[in-house]
Amino acid sequence: MSKATYLIISAGLISTAASAHVSLETKQAIAGGSYKAVFAVPHGCAGSPTVKIRVQIPEGVIAVKPMPKAGWSVDVVEGKYTGEYDYHGNKVSSGAKEVVWSGGKLPDHNYDEFVISTFLTDSLKPNTTLYFPVVQECEKGVSRWIEIPAEGAARSHEGKSPAPGVKLLPKP
Amino acid sequence: MRVLAALATLLLCIGFATGAWAHAALVSVEPANGSIVASAPKSVELRFNEVVTPGAIRLIDGTGKVRDEARVSASGETISIAVPQDLPQGTVVVSYRVISQDGHPVAGSVIFSIGVPSATQVPTVADGGVNALIWLMRIGLYLGLFAGVGGVFFAIWIARSTNGMLLPRGALLMGVLGAIASLPLLGLDLLGLPLTAFLTSAPWTIASRTSAGTALLIAIAAMLVAGIALRGGQGARVLSAIALAGVGLSLASSGHAATTPPQALTRPAIFLHGLGIAFWIGALAPLVVLMSRPTAAMLPILNRFSRVAVPVVAILALTGLTLAIIQLESFAALVETKYGVILSIKLALVAVLLALAAFNRLRLTPALAKNLKTAPALKRSILAECVLALAVFAVVAGWRFTPPPRAIVPEAPLAIHIHGEKAMFQVLVSPGKAGTDDFVLQLMTGEATPLQAKEATLTLSLPERGIEPIEYDAELGPDGYWHVRKVELPFAGRWHVRIDALVTDFEKVTLEDDIEVAPR
Repeated sequence: MSKATYLIISAGLISTAASAHVSLETKQAIAGGSYKAVFAVPHGCAGSPTVKIRVQIPEGVIAVKPMPKAGWSVDVVEGKYTGEYDYHGNKVSSGAKEVVWSGGKLPDHNYDEFVISTFLTDSLKPNTTLYFPVVQECEKGVSRWIEIPAEGAARSHEGKSPAPGVKLLPKP
Repeated sequence: MRVLAALATLLLCIGFATGAWAHAALVSVEPANGSIVASAPKSVELRFNEVVTPGAIRLIDGTGKVRDEARVSASGETISIAVPQDLPQGTVVVSYRVISQDGHPVAGSVIFSIGVPSATQVPTVADGGVNALIWLMRIGLYLGLFAGVGGVFFAIWIARSTNGMLLPRGALLMGVLGAIASLPLLGLDLLGLPLTAFLTSAPWTIASRTSAGTALLIAIAAMLVAGIALRGGQGARVLSAIALAGVGLSLASSGHAATTPPQALTRPAIFLHGLGIAFWIGALAPLVVLMSRPTAAMLPILNRFSRVAVPVVAILALTGLTLAIIQLESFAALVETKYGVILSIKLALVAVLLALAAFNRLRLTPALAKNLKTAPALKRSILAECVLALAVFAVVAGWRFTPPPRAIVPEAPLAIHIHGEKAMFQVLVSPGKAGTDDFVLQLMTGEATPLQAKEATLTLSLPERGIEPIEYDAELGPDGYWHVRKVELPFAGRWHVRIDALVTDFEKVTLEDDIEVAPR
């Protein structure tokens, strides 16, 4: 097989792989503004239907409000933040750390979205990527979308189950 | 007579009573060989495949210092070394020398690191000529057993005269001295002590506890009995026969060949082999003496010897072949291993010896029957046989220093240390060769404390061969390490290893590195 063929095949693999990840619909957001995080779940775990979606809320993300979803119950796991944040003049030091949708059933051949309204505090550094690790639990098996590339790591070392991320932009 | 019968029974019991014997091999080590531990373990446990006697066991710490205060205790197959608790960080080397059931020392070393690996050097112990002396004493012992005891047997049963027994007498004396000196030398070798410790009690005690010590005692008894038989009188025939049996017993009670399973085959084989050698080689010196003063009376002696010698040589060849096949396992081992090379040289010498013997039997002996004047030719030929036999003894005595291919202990596992920002992983691959391997993953935090993981996966790929990543789920063992067993590594080469440790539901630590997998 020639080198060119290899390239074409591997390019094909990468593009399908990218679209098959659990990912955020909106890829960019302003640090210091509100952000509607829409998690796109394109498939189950190796064919098994999805029964639970757990999203970890990264530090610096506050005012978390999940959108209710028919057929699913939603829970928010609260806890203390590492830092203290200012939200419309109020000091906030604790809140949602994890959002969990459960009780539903999303077959492998269907697509669905899970939505959280958030506020990205200006403690987050612009021009970095903010990651929301997701654990997708299925009837059989678990997919963990939790890989966060090390800073400065080469693109080629990207894992096969990356955490959904959003690129942070400076305030205009 | 009754006393003699009892003695013979006793010899038989000593020779055969001990259970299944094999060559000792290290089965497992705790902490695992090549592993990294957070703090000094309380003890190091070496487990062997059979009961072993500890010889010289040394613990060398990360600074290269030998820690003499490390106490060694043994129970059954396990040797436990109490580790001093003030060991500095770095790689600890435990070098061991244990005595396996066949009486030979098995030596090796294992390493583990406290905190971080370091390049600890193992100080070498000077041999100080112990091995050369062991070898010389062994030749002396062979002379005593074969030329001495065999010579006495020939004189009493074949020649029926104990005249001209100067040489066998000398051989007996040499043999007894060789056997007595072999005992502490063996002990010195086992304990890794210099020659100057010859007169201390430790080497004597430890050697007498091994099967080699037993073999030496049987040999001494056999040679003493032969010496008594030489004084003639009633019972000399029985005594010389018992001495001859003692030669076989001594050889059958120790050594690589005698302790290899199936022992129901190897022990009788080595016993008969020893008997055969003693009969044949023992006859040579007295025959030379006879040839020096040719008379018609020696013809019946020659005939008697020849009649028995032919089947004896057949037995020698048959038993020798059986033992060689069991020990070598393959033809390639004849040239590839030291043991095999020694066997090859021995076989070549024996081939010449046999040719000479056949020439004597078929040409020179009939010629002598016709004309007594041809005696000098036969004498020269037998003298040549003597020289060859001595050469065979010298070569075979070298076996003491080489384990047979069957018993070669597997090498230490392949180990790599991957150090990341948050964690460090130690990966042990055994045997570390292409084929089926077992992986042990030792997960630690950056501070060298155990990393609690919920799951661990091992991903292997061989980019140079186009082998894409294959993922394996590791299982947490009771030892606190993660194990992946029976991984197929189809090719040798630079494999890429990636380990994912799931620390919390949302966090995992991934470290990767390359390992060089040796060919099968």
